[in-house]
Amino acid sequence: MRRITTVGIVGKFATALIAVVVIQGILSFKFKVFGYFDLPLIFCVYYGFTLGNPIASIVIGSSLGLMQDSLSAVILGANGLSKTLIGFFAATAVSKFAVDQPITRVFALFLFSLGDDILVTILSLMVGPASSATHSGAVGIWLLSATFNTLLGLVLFGYYDRWRDVTA
Amino acid sequence: MSRTVPVSKKPIWITLTLALAIHISLISLQGRRRIDTGFVRVWILDLLAPVEKLVDRSFYGVRSVWDRYVELIGVHDENQHLKRENDELRMQVIEQREAILEAERIRTLAGLQGSGLGKSIIARVIGRDPAHTQTITIDKGASHGLKADTAVITPAGIVGRVIHSSNFFSIVQLIVDSQSAVGVMLQTTRRQGIVKGNGGRDLDLDYIDDDTDLKEGDLFLTSGEDRIYPKGLPVGVITSIGPRRGLLKVVQIRPSVDLGRLEEVLCIIGRREHVDVVDPTQVPQGP
Repeated sequence: MRRITTVGIVGKFATALIAVVVIQGILSFKFKVFGYFDLPLIFCVYYGFTLGNPIASIVIGSSLGLMQDSLSAVILGANGLSKTLIGFFAATAVSKFAVDQPITRVFALFLFSLGDDILVTILSLMVGPASSATHSGAVGIWLLSATFNTLLGLVLFGYYDRWRDVTA
Repeated sequence: MSRTVPVSKKPIWITLTLALAIHISLISLQGRRRIDTGFVRVWILDLLAPVEKLVDRSFYGVRSVWDRYVELIGVHDENQHLKRENDELRMQVIEQREAILEAERIRTLAGLQGSGLGKSIIARVIGRDPAHTQTITIDKGASHGLKADTAVITPAGIVGRVIHSSNFFSIVQLIVDSQSAVGVMLQTTRRQGIVKGNGGRDLDLDYIDDDTDLKEGDLFLTSGEDRIYPKGLPVGVITSIGPRRGLLKVVQIRPSVDLGRLEEVLCIIGRREHVDVVDPTQVPQGP
């Protein structure tokens, strides 16, 4: 039997985190509609639900957010703080809700996505001038983005669940 | 679903507090501008941008293979021999056409490079902002002479300015970003003003000396007053003039550059104050 080391697990997660942020960047560049999606957020929520481990989820969310900030004009730490909280709440929700039920996932993804956009905007406004996310149609974009993230999240969650069951 | 239930919740709260403290510190340091947190971006950008470039190349390769081979499978059934010959010729034509188009773009940029703009360097666009802001990533950085506020242009007009720069990559804020502002002048009357991005596809006129003689189709050029873009580069044309709101009419400007189709750009790393060779009436279409 193959021995799974801690370094191996951390390496796999680090690679996955980088891949998620890079894929989001490339897809947003190739297909403009992907600007409405937030793959790091979906990834963060999924691993919060799956691992049920708040510490790991905080680290994953924090790293994803920081990398996302570095590739954008958003202030450094805004997405980091937001994704840290999302990772924490997703992991703690495991003991309180049936997070493997689609209806729970729909609510969670929509609220987390909306909360993420609002928090990042508030933090950006606190530090600098109004960002792109604060123009007149911002609320519409947040809702659209939350809907897209919920739909994509549901599809990816289902796919990941099946893949995990097969490889388990 | 595997669930780990920790015996004590203390480590969780310590980790959460630590992570939040790090992010809040980063945010507050940027707000006060007491300590430059740019090095964190530089590290992460240096880590992510090469991967992004690799994936971009792979994506391009896969797409090329798809375009040139897979889509032609159905036609092979009709005439194997003739189609094979046809495929080879078509591949050559596509490759040569792409090569010619790329050479033309580079030659136009190189022409612009030698047109009195000062020292400049050609860069390739390798990514777009994963968040909702209007930025792109290019494959040139501080080691090539790029720094914050370096102007980024194409033969069609200005694209934006560098806001973050690592050793080999830079983030460029596009002129349509709502935090972007450009000093402009009207080509016909030479009246000076300021245009700002609106976060969408267009620019809004934020200020002008006198807006009575504005009309649709008028071209705005850079005025050079913002000390970022050299004077005389095309910015955009007026697409609509609405009713007066406050002191100014609501004027929308479509950028001269198609910002959604950028592939190569020119970064001005040692500029002169005025561009005397670029003729705005000869602005080519597209990036």
